[in-house]
Amino acid sequence: MEEEAEAEEQQRFSYQQRLKAAVHYTVGCLCEEVALDKEMQFSKQTIAAISELTFRQCENFAKDLEMFARHARRTTINTEDVKLLARRSNSLLKYITDKSEEIAQINVERKARKKKKSEDGNHNSRELAEAGVVESEK
Amino acid sequence: MEGVGAGAGFRKGFTHPLLCLSPIGLLWELVSRLLHAHFKDDKTKGAVSGDSLQLMAELLKIFVVEAAVRAVRQAQAEDAILVDVDQLEKVLPQLLLDF
Repeated sequence: MEEEAEAEEQQRFSYQQRLKAAVHYTVGCLCEEVALDKEMQFSKQTIAAISELTFRQCENFAKDLEMFARHARRTTINTEDVKLLARRSNSLLKYITDKSEEIAQINVERKARKKKKSEDGNHNSRELAEAGVVESEK
Repeated sequence: MEGVGAGAGFRKGFTHPLLCLSPIGLLWELVSRLLHAHFKDDKTKGAVSGDSLQLMAELLKIFVVEAAVRAVRQAQAEDAILVDVDQLEKVLPQLLLDF
């Protein structure tokens, strides 16, 4: 029993390590872009520190999101919860609010396009079916 | 004062040109896994809506870019040749207060 628990703990630990590595890589990419833009180099320790920071901040974010959703008696986290996360700075809140509207707009358009495509598809297949029927009757 | 300089960019509004760049990194999958890894409540383990996942990716991207840019500004103010942990440490308090 104890061995199982230990193995599980090991697995969770290595999964966390892989996540951290992924974050580190992403942070490295983003910092590289900043470095190019500002013409300033980052030390390796700085990049490692920022990625450690991001990982830990994500933990806080996740806990907060959970609590916000539970407070609103929901089991799904939605954009309102995310906006609450960004409340501490006015310009951050504004940016996130604008982004959320942009995202909502894009998704609405995408859904509309998908629906139109599937309707056209049905229309086409109906036409083909009718054509097929006509031919066979010959 | 270092603190004032570091926070100025934020209050001027989010006009970092870098944020308009293509959404490299911070892929949905990574963000989703990050969040799920930290969920404690069993009931929420399912569900983060797609929209909010995208939004979270944006938020995290801003977090990283803000940290980086503020550290750069600090280094520039100190006439340093590169951005080291010392500069990051100085901008950390205000950064964490803003998030």
